[in-house]
Amino acid sequence: MLKDITIGQYFPLNSVIHRLDPRVKLLYTFVFIIMIVVANNFVSMLFCVICALSVTLISKIPVKTVVKGLKPILFIIIITSLLQIIYVKTGVPLVSFWKIKITSGGLLEALFMTMRITFLIVMSTMLTYTTSPTSMTNGLDRTFAPLSRLGIDFNIITMIMTIALRFIPTLIDEVDKIISAQKSRGANFESGSIFKRAKMLIPLFVPLLFNATRRAYELAYAMTCRCYNGGKGKTTMNALKFRAGDWTASFLTVAFVAGVIFLNINFGEYNAQFTFNTAV
Amino acid sequence: MADIILKFDNVTFRYDGDETPLPPAVENLSLEIKKGEFVAILGHNGSGKSTVAKLSNGLVIPESGDVYVNGMNTKNENDDFKIKQTVGVVFQNPDNQIVATIVEEDVAFGPENLGVDPAEIRRRVDEALKIVGMYKYRLHEPHKLSGGQKQRVAIAGIIAMQPQCIVFDEPTAMLDPEGRRDVMNAMKRLNKELGITVVFITHYMEEACEAERIIVMDDARLVLDGTPEEIFSDVNYIRSLGLDVPQTCALAQMLKDDGIEISGELLSVDGLVNSLAKILGRG
Repeated sequence: MLKDITIGQYFPLNSVIHRLDPRVKLLYTFVFIIMIVVANNFVSMLFCVICALSVTLISKIPVKTVVKGLKPILFIIIITSLLQIIYVKTGVPLVSFWKIKITSGGLLEALFMTMRITFLIVMSTMLTYTTSPTSMTNGLDRTFAPLSRLGIDFNIITMIMTIALRFIPTLIDEVDKIISAQKSRGANFESGSIFKRAKMLIPLFVPLLFNATRRAYELAYAMTCRCYNGGKGKTTMNALKFRAGDWTASFLTVAFVAGVIFLNINFGEYNAQFTFNTAV
Repeated sequence: MADIILKFDNVTFRYDGDETPLPPAVENLSLEIKKGEFVAILGHNGSGKSTVAKLSNGLVIPESGDVYVNGMNTKNENDDFKIKQTVGVVFQNPDNQIVATIVEEDVAFGPENLGVDPAEIRRRVDEALKIVGMYKYRLHEPHKLSGGQKQRVAIAGIIAMQPQCIVFDEPTAMLDPEGRRDVMNAMKRLNKELGITVVFITHYMEEACEAERIIVMDDARLVLDGTPEEIFSDVNYIRSLGLDVPQTCALAQMLKDDGIEISGELLSVDGLVNSLAKILGRG
């Protein structure tokens, strides 16, 4: 169960997408998210999906990994779909039982929402799969550097993020060890009422918290030894440069935005009735 | 004076206790370490040896007495960066020393903080990783490496700052035998090939014997300071400090206890064999 956490995990491969400037990836992922929310008909949505799939293919990340990354939001997708199916009453009524009427409009709306949420997450995970957390924080650092004028020290925020990301696998290993240690003394994490199981988490989290605090102290010493002083006067080994690939990505993103807007205007706001009739 | 890199002058230090003051972790410690030396500090748990590591580059400041790094007092905050750049410390748990999520980016952390030019950082990082034999892992994630590999990455992170002296605080304590050997070899290379002064804190006797000079600490104080041969000449005293002795010394001592005159170099296996051959040949 613990090994399934994939959001925020970097997948080191050598693809065009991996080599893009993190600022470019951050910004364009954001643009994609806006556009997939703006997309208001099935044609625009399909266009977004095709673009997202192309990015996935170019990145060389195995489709299996991407699908696995969707697992945590499966619940949200199901709930949203159900709500759409139950509450949207447009289109042709298909089935009706008890107080629930399922209409074609509801089904299409559910499909539309599922596509939207799924590919919104696919693109966001693409960002974390193809960008090492350090280069991501570098990117964030640069993108938000102007904030320092407002008195917000982004250097420190990005350092905190890097350390959090760095210690996720370490702490997961630690949780595994603690679970084994407790189990070997007869602890039972899997059965009993929810209350009982929640109570079982106490002997898990107390040592975890204790160890994490100890680690934090040691890390602070190690960082002090390496002259960390909050990022003042810091340079970066892998300085960010805008390369040919970044220009291409920029061009493609502009084309993508234009495409979605064009399709939105051309096909109009999607209408369940209309879409269903043409489909049939 | 110029060739002394690290000097402890009558240093006492204690950690903050809640109410009652704790006993000192280091008491009236005076010691000098010369440039290019390979020194081992030996002591059982709680003898204060790890505190020596923290005192040596100003991570903690002595309660009384002074610590000098290349003549700079660690109490002087203006020299803080210069001191930490001169004396690096490698700690016991490699997991808690690695900051970044990619090996080479972690090694770059120190020079980046010092504001070194990017091209120069790249050069130093590659060089440091080659010295510890981790160059081909430069794009790996630290948490996928073994303990010994992680510790070598941590060492590279210090080397990239180009220190003159590195203090190793039980760097092998959490490692398997293979990792331990790799880290030992890396330390020896630093000393022999790069001329970096190495202070190696440990409680493994066999490892300490590889140093040129051993300092023994017991109960916050320095009790012995000498070459491995000198230190282990008094086996019973070493044992009374709660420390092990190398098997060769133990054997020689047992022979001495039985009234057999044995002399010469008794620390290495070869030396002991030679001494024994001499006795047997004569007898």
